[in-house]
Amino acid sequence: MSVTWDLGVVTHNIGYLLAGLRMTIVLSLVSLALGLAVGLAIALLRLSRWRALRWAAGLYIDVWRSTPFLAQILWVFYALPILTGYALTAFTAGVITLSCHASAYLAEVYRAGILGISPGQRQAALALGMTNAQAARRIILPQAVMQMLPAIGSQSINLFKESALVSIINLQELMWYAESLSGFTMRSVEIFSATALIYALLTYPQALAVNYLHRRQRAA
Amino acid sequence: MTHYTWHFEAVWENLPLLLQGLWDTCLLAPLAMAVGLVVGLGVALLRLSGVWGLSAIATGFTELFRTTPLLVQVIWVYTVLPLLTGIALSPFVSGLVALGLNVAAFMAEIYRTGITSIDYSQKQGALALGMTRAQAMRRIILPQAVRRMIPPMTAMWVALFKDTSILATIGVVELMYQARVVASDTFRPLEVFTAVGIIYFLLTYPQALLVNWIYDRLRVHS
Repeated sequence: MSVTWDLGVVTHNIGYLLAGLRMTIVLSLVSLALGLAVGLAIALLRLSRWRALRWAAGLYIDVWRSTPFLAQILWVFYALPILTGYALTAFTAGVITLSCHASAYLAEVYRAGILGISPGQRQAALALGMTNAQAARRIILPQAVMQMLPAIGSQSINLFKESALVSIINLQELMWYAESLSGFTMRSVEIFSATALIYALLTYPQALAVNYLHRRQRAA
Repeated sequence: MTHYTWHFEAVWENLPLLLQGLWDTCLLAPLAMAVGLVVGLGVALLRLSGVWGLSAIATGFTELFRTTPLLVQVIWVYTVLPLLTGIALSPFVSGLVALGLNVAAFMAEIYRTGITSIDYSQKQGALALGMTRAQAMRRIILPQAVRRMIPPMTAMWVALFKDTSILATIGVVELMYQARVVASDTFRPLEVFTAVGIIYFLLTYPQALLVNWIYDRLRVHS
């Protein structure tokens, strides 16, 4: 069976796809920023000297990492408001879920990065007369951040791709527009292929950047 | 915080439905893993074949599946592929194909980096000892490469187990699909989604611990 490709349906509706793409990008960037901040806090709790805090942070990480993203987004959008009494917009629910989900993975990235710096580095800094805070800021963190960059990049790519699942709660991002357009125009072949291409074109440069960071780190 | 009376009866009364969904989840995951392991190996070998056309196709396959969301792949295979090929597939088979190919793309990279990570001098040493290329691959390179491949493969398995839930969107009747049905039938999304989250957690968490253990056990000291 042959399908006649009608790319006109894509160019004609490109405005909708781009509006969706804009939402996808805003959603991803906001969630990434929050995920980076929350993840750092969780990592510090995980490394804290109080056992209860370490345990709570560990539970947070394990729960977000051991359940499917789809279950999380449905829970936050449909179940959480019943518990709290506050209804959430699709955007807020999407940001909460994406950033909490990412923060659990990022917390492990931070932790591994911080623990990966040899204790000798800190000892040497202290021996040179630096305070603890100076040693952390000038010696440990700059090295840890370089170690973490590739893994943070990978998580940012995952977050970008996972944002497509937020279409399930009707947030009008790229995948949501693709599904609506496919229904309207009855041209699923062109619409979904174009959508896949848009995602690939945006993700591929990020993947190249992450590969570059990995290579540079190995060379160092 | 409002006062809320939990009604877990909604979950208990529909437990058979949820368990039936769970059965399909537990069926899909190993099948997709098998597809991924076999197809992924083929793709990795094509990529390493040294024949330009073949390795370009393998690279294109890998990059396409790694740079697009799984949801897009699942919907593409379910709605677009039948129009292109003329062969209609059931949601279960479509889902299995999409998930299997997605896993294959990641597996191909695991195979490839595993094989290429083994230092070239290992092969030279084996050849210098009089082994043939095939012997060097089988006795020297693969045993070392497999040790490096197993940990990321097990991590991939855990990710895949959770990703089966995405197949609910095309009507594969697995756990997440049944959860949405039960939640809307009983008007009890809080109890149902909480229970289903706990089910996924109880199944995934021990596997995640196992993966950590395997990572520690097979760590390569270099």
